[in-house]
Amino acid sequence: MGWRWLVRMRTALMLLGVLALMTAVATVVPQEPNVPTTVRSWRLGEEGPGATVSAVLDWVGAFDVYGSPAFLALLLALFLSLTACLIPRIRAWIRLVRRSKPPVVKTVGGSDITASFQTDAAPADVHAAAAKLLGGRVWRIRRHDPEAEGGPLDASSGARSAPSQVAAEKGLWSREGGSLLFHLSFYVLLAAIVFGQLLTFEGQRGVVERDRGFTDTAISYWNYQPGRWFSEADHAGWRLELDEFEIDWIRDPLAPGAGQPTTFRSTVTITPADGEPFQDVVEGNQPLTVDGFKIHQLDWGYAPRVEVEVDGQMVYDDLLTAVAADGGGFRSAVKAPAADPDVGLEVFFYPFAPDGDGGPSLTGAPWDEAPLLVVRQWRGDLQLGATQQTVNELDTSGLESEGGAFLRPGDEVVVEGVTIRFPELRRWVGFQVSSRPQIPWLLVGSALLVAGLIPALYAYRRRVWVMAVRPPGQQRTLVTVFGRAFQRPEKFEEEHGDLVTELIRMVGVPPDDTTDPDDRAPRSGADPAAAARDSATEVMPR
Amino acid sequence: MTPTELADLSRVLYSPVTLSLYLAAAFVYLYALTTTVGRREERERGMRARKVGLVLAVAGIGTHIAHEIVRGLAQERLPLGNMFEVTSLMALVGVLTGFIYMQVIRKRPELNGFVLLGGALVLASALLMYSEPGPLMPILDTWWRTFHVSLLVAAMGIFAAGFVFNSLYLLRDTGELAVARERERQLEGSTVGAASAGDLDVADETSGIGGRTIDRLDATVDDGRDHDAEYRAALRAGVSVPRLVIGTFLGTSLVSWVFVYSAATLAEGLTRFLTINLVMVAAALIARWFVPLLPPTATLDGIAHRTIAFAFVMWTVGTIAGAMWAEQSWGRFWGWDPKETGAFLTWVAYAGYLHARATKGVKGRGAAWIGVWSFVVLMGTYLIANYVIVGLHSYAGL
Repeated sequence: MGWRWLVRMRTALMLLGVLALMTAVATVVPQEPNVPTTVRSWRLGEEGPGATVSAVLDWVGAFDVYGSPAFLALLLALFLSLTACLIPRIRAWIRLVRRSKPPVVKTVGGSDITASFQTDAAPADVHAAAAKLLGGRVWRIRRHDPEAEGGPLDASSGARSAPSQVAAEKGLWSREGGSLLFHLSFYVLLAAIVFGQLLTFEGQRGVVERDRGFTDTAISYWNYQPGRWFSEADHAGWRLELDEFEIDWIRDPLAPGAGQPTTFRSTVTITPADGEPFQDVVEGNQPLTVDGFKIHQLDWGYAPRVEVEVDGQMVYDDLLTAVAADGGGFRSAVKAPAADPDVGLEVFFYPFAPDGDGGPSLTGAPWDEAPLLVVRQWRGDLQLGATQQTVNELDTSGLESEGGAFLRPGDEVVVEGVTIRFPELRRWVGFQVSSRPQIPWLLVGSALLVAGLIPALYAYRRRVWVMAVRPPGQQRTLVTVFGRAFQRPEKFEEEHGDLVTELIRMVGVPPDDTTDPDDRAPRSGADPAAAARDSATEVMPR
Repeated sequence: MTPTELADLSRVLYSPVTLSLYLAAAFVYLYALTTTVGRREERERGMRARKVGLVLAVAGIGTHIAHEIVRGLAQERLPLGNMFEVTSLMALVGVLTGFIYMQVIRKRPELNGFVLLGGALVLASALLMYSEPGPLMPILDTWWRTFHVSLLVAAMGIFAAGFVFNSLYLLRDTGELAVARERERQLEGSTVGAASAGDLDVADETSGIGGRTIDRLDATVDDGRDHDAEYRAALRAGVSVPRLVIGTFLGTSLVSWVFVYSAATLAEGLTRFLTINLVMVAAALIARWFVPLLPPTATLDGIAHRTIAFAFVMWTVGTIAGAMWAEQSWGRFWGWDPKETGAFLTWVAYAGYLHARATKGVKGRGAAWIGVWSFVVLMGTYLIANYVIVGLHSYAGL
């Protein structure tokens, strides 16, 4: 254990494995932040493996894996291990970038790919051509000339006795550098996520068509989830009104994709805090941005207007925001504490319920071709403020049922002395408003990640040497091009062959070189050992 | 043509036409692979078979692409909107990439048989999720989706090819290890083993223990001397049939149980489950038979690594694009929705593979196993997030 343990790749692999395992748990077990209702029914034993297993899952934090202390600890361990790995690697890499020169060698190495040819050009010219060729292809080059270099012996790169040559290297910085960039991008992403959590804001609010809208202030949201560092003063104070919400479906039951929505568009009027109102559109993939706040459509429903009159006195007149319920209906509630005793209505709205034999038939289709309001009346104590209840739910514990009724738009019914009217039908849209200052940083992190990943996988490290020698008393220069690949050797063979061909083109090969024209072509090492042996005996200066 | 006729045509193009072309090409290529150790006239017949396989494979890819186009015309949108279409495209990308990689880049056409066999299996599995052409929900009808989904689907196809080669690597390596162990045992036991030890040096050169980066020798292609045939038989025998069958069955079950879960009736579900499992077992047994004819482990390992690395980049970019689209469409870039969790899990698994391959003591068999498990994770999360758990992405499914 300890530092050495943290630095090991095996540890990182193990931690990655644990991360995968925890993620797998989160895939199989419903997560509370995502599907709280499913988790509730798991806990109650109505769904899933039963209440006992759920209790165990709860105990280990499996219902909120990403918020559990174990996950945080794992994340910490992963980043510690990453840091422990990266610090020495970064230092080594910087040293490499600052100091390293392609090494100079004396002879062809045992596993090098090699080829040689003869030319009339002087060795110095061949070296110049090779440097130009390799430099043009973004190799790092080093020209070594023992006669010109009069300085002290360079211990790191071999002796001055090494023959005159051009040494070149590539992929050394970029491969490792890419890998480092890839891993460093996780710090950017982590910082963006952590600070984002603190600075973010998210709120939801439903707005009925052609009704009063809402203003961006802390109190006007139905759900309000600010980050710890998001203060109420950060709200921009613009105003949103919904002019029209268009939604349509494939209504033909026999058409392919029947029932799928085809349109989902809100036309809104925005009034910025200090500006003129303007109209704009929010669509599925096209949110609206106002003063840095993004506005999305999240939800929608029907908004029937309901009036309730008791003893000739209007006790309720409002637009309900009915939410989709099972069976294609929309559910809501009317709460009228102004009446005495209180009036409560349980409201079910069915958009397409045409008249059939013996009453309306509920089709479950979502389009409002035959809207029907089903109400059930309750009287007694609504217990507003006394118990927890949502806008669309009635707490019937203090109420008594007084019967129910069906209403079509424009209808009026009287149930036990209470007059209920359904004068008009509109729609409402649930908007999500969010402010996420971390997004640009997340984009930067992602860009760094991809920018690092590609060289980390696709920059291949190679070394190449070009040695041109004219043995004393001879007219021809012998040129040997050899090198080695640290990755993808089979691809290097092609690259090497290409370099040799190009070099030959640059320096030229005498036409009367050999009797057999095939010999002029570079001998690319399919059998490196044999090639090395050949070149060692033929080419290498003693 | 009317959309209905186009839909019918696209269906016929898919199955039986493309499916049978892939299968035929796969078997012709596999036959060609069996001739590489035979006599000269046999090898010539194999070369001719390879040409037939090439024609069949290109024809199959052609009809597959035609199917995608016709289906796209029938529904007037890109065929990337449901499980069937996604799986079909996964097969197409897998076959196309694998085929081009083997034929053009690696120049190992003899391995096309495995690519096509894997493609045919994915293609056939898509039929279990068949749905008629239809329009797309408006929220899915965006450039973002095209980019995000096609990248991920293409990555899935290439990961599938990587899985095939990781599996082949493991089979070959198991065979070679068994031969090496046998040799050691004989060396300890008697002097008779000394003779065969020399014969088996070739195997040692290419076995998983030594350096894996360079294909030094091609151990399989040699003229038909007796000890070569013996060596081949020993390689094949090194892979235990019961273990392979049980392992494949259990491993496939980790994914295929989803079909039992999601089917309308238990009988139907069990039929699908058993069909998938037995087909996979059959494929594993076919692969086992070909173990002696496979290229050296280093080559298989290298191919698997290259394909997976390529797909990993695509998966990374595709997932980032998905997060960007989610921010645009849902107002949050990441919400640990089942599909997002699945994508992340797959990414972590393959990241584990790439790291393992760079780790001493884990690379080789250990890394290949992680690669195989990663594919199980990929297919498992793909099916689970669509069939079992309902999330925001679920409308993209059935």
